[in-house]
Amino acid sequence: MTGTLTLSQNDAIEAGTWRLSPRVRWRLWDDEAVAYNDVSGDTHHFADFAAWVFARLCQKPESAAGLAREAKTSVELRSDETHDAVIGRTLELLWRLRLIEKAAA
Amino acid sequence: MREETVFLRLGPFTAALTTPFENVVEQLRRLYPASFFKPGADFADFHVALLPGKGLRRYARKQARFLIDGQEHFKPLPVGQALPLVEWGLNYAIAGLAHQYLIVHAAAVEKNGKVAIFPGAPGAGKSTLCAGLIHRGWRLLSDELALIRRQDGKVAPLARPVNLKNQSIDLMRSFAPAAVFSEAARDTAKGTVALMRAPEESLARIDEPAPPGWIVFPQWRKGAPARLENFSRPAGLVEIAHNAMNYSLHGAQGFELLAGIFADSGCYRFTYGDLNEAASAMNALAAA
Repeated sequence: MTGTLTLSQNDAIEAGTWRLSPRVRWRLWDDEAVAYNDVSGDTHHFADFAAWVFARLCQKPESAAGLAREAKTSVELRSDETHDAVIGRTLELLWRLRLIEKAAA
Repeated sequence: MREETVFLRLGPFTAALTTPFENVVEQLRRLYPASFFKPGADFADFHVALLPGKGLRRYARKQARFLIDGQEHFKPLPVGQALPLVEWGLNYAIAGLAHQYLIVHAAAVEKNGKVAIFPGAPGAGKSTLCAGLIHRGWRLLSDELALIRRQDGKVAPLARPVNLKNQSIDLMRSFAPAAVFSEAARDTAKGTVALMRAPEESLARIDEPAPPGWIVFPQWRKGAPARLENFSRPAGLVEIAHNAMNYSLHGAQGFELLAGIFADSGCYRFTYGDLNEAASAMNALAAA
């Protein structure tokens, strides 16, 4: 299912603001997240950085740049990757799982 | 062989079992209280039958067949395994048809008004743990299928004989010498199997549902000390959803139901190697 999705120019991760899809239900516990997608029927568990990004989007819509700015001051990465790169990868994962979508401009 | 139909109470359900196997009915009467048999009941949730094998199997290497609403869902088994076949078949019927509940493949026991749910893969030790606890002050709700009510998240009792396998049978005979056991069925797909009657208090309180208080993922390990560790609730929710028979059928309501349960319950991993130690650790958890 996820393999059929491709990012178009308008979907580019760096562009625009992201928000939770309206048919997603979620809970945040113990710095981790669990999300139910009412479209796919799938339930997902997120820990570590993915949980942090998901939790931020539960609070309010955010751009990739805004998330990266906040992450740099509050989240320490375990790898040598940059915050921007990990934010980009995490947003793409959440988008492919249809848990987030672009907020209207 | 003359067929008879017995109406048997299974927690909130009634099953009508038709069979000519007198020995099986006799054993069921030892394993369930007399009040659970409802002669002449006019309604049954499940209509099942335990019948002899067909053709030559009626005479040589005799077999038993289990039918739900006239349909055979399993391969026939040797007659010596007829009783476990009935219990497994009834579980199959409940799990496949009782979708008014969220059904989790888990044992469930209650103490001090709260339920401990033990989800687990076969071999994790949930049935043995459950069997031990119900002889150390806990009430049996189910050893196999936790029935979670959609309206309030409480667990409905389905107190039935506890299914014991292999070494657990002798272990429980010495752990609970007064307990009533069925004859052992040997060489089943699960090894040797015996059923242990539920304690009288559990049977007497069959109409009392209770809310979950603890979600505990057990793992038996030889020689391991009893150890309870906090476990992430999001990870636990996903794991219990995988252990549910009909989670996807309940959709968003199923998620909300589990989320409500995890919000109000402790979530743990529990390793144990000795049943007495395990019971002490669980009693301490219930008392905290």
